[in-house]
Amino acid sequence: MAISLDEVRLLIEAALPGAEVKVEDETGTQDHLRATVAAPQFEGLSRIDQHRLVKKAVQARFDDGSIHALSIKTEPK
Amino acid sequence: MAEPQLKEKVEELIRDHPVLLFMKGTPEQPRCGFSMRTVGVLDQMGVEYAALDVLPALQPLREVTAEISDWQTFPQLYVKGELVGGCDIVEEMAASGELAELLGVDQPQQPAPAAQPEQPADPQQSPPIQIEKS
Repeated sequence: MAISLDEVRLLIEAALPGAEVKVEDETGTQDHLRATVAAPQFEGLSRIDQHRLVKKAVQARFDDGSIHALSIKTEPK
Repeated sequence: MAEPQLKEKVEELIRDHPVLLFMKGTPEQPRCGFSMRTVGVLDQMGVEYAALDVLPALQPLREVTAEISDWQTFPQLYVKGELVGGCDIVEEMAASGELAELLGVDQPQQPAPAAQPEQPADPQQSPPIQIEKS
């Protein structure tokens, strides 16, 4: 089951209000995604904690197999 | 709920190995692109590291690392008992010099190249760890 890029972006934006989110499809099959996120909530957090926040936003989609792989790039906003 | 014996074993591995990579496949034969790239970075750093293939017990290990590190995807690199991150973070830190500093090695001259499947195994590589499913 593939997932729309918009849905992933909306999930991340909902979890991180004020974030700038870009979601791209790495392989054209809509299950290997790349999310680039700049969020105020990342300020002062280690990279891994920033990634944890993004992961949590889309965890349900990992669990049900809609997302097979997600590359994440984060920075404080 | 994570299997207690498996969790204990994983905690022991994290304590015993200063650089430990949980990956899909082995350093000689990675079974996923992210694992392959992470191995490539570590090999370029020139450090000795232990590698565990998670594929024989993937879901149980996800549950264990979820409890230990609040992280469920692989690869996972642990350095001195702490989760550093997956492929993205490892590559970013390699490029910035933070990884070399963390590992206590000199920053390699070139940025980590894209790992090629034909690369020979690094002789400094510890033998892969196998976890037997009991």
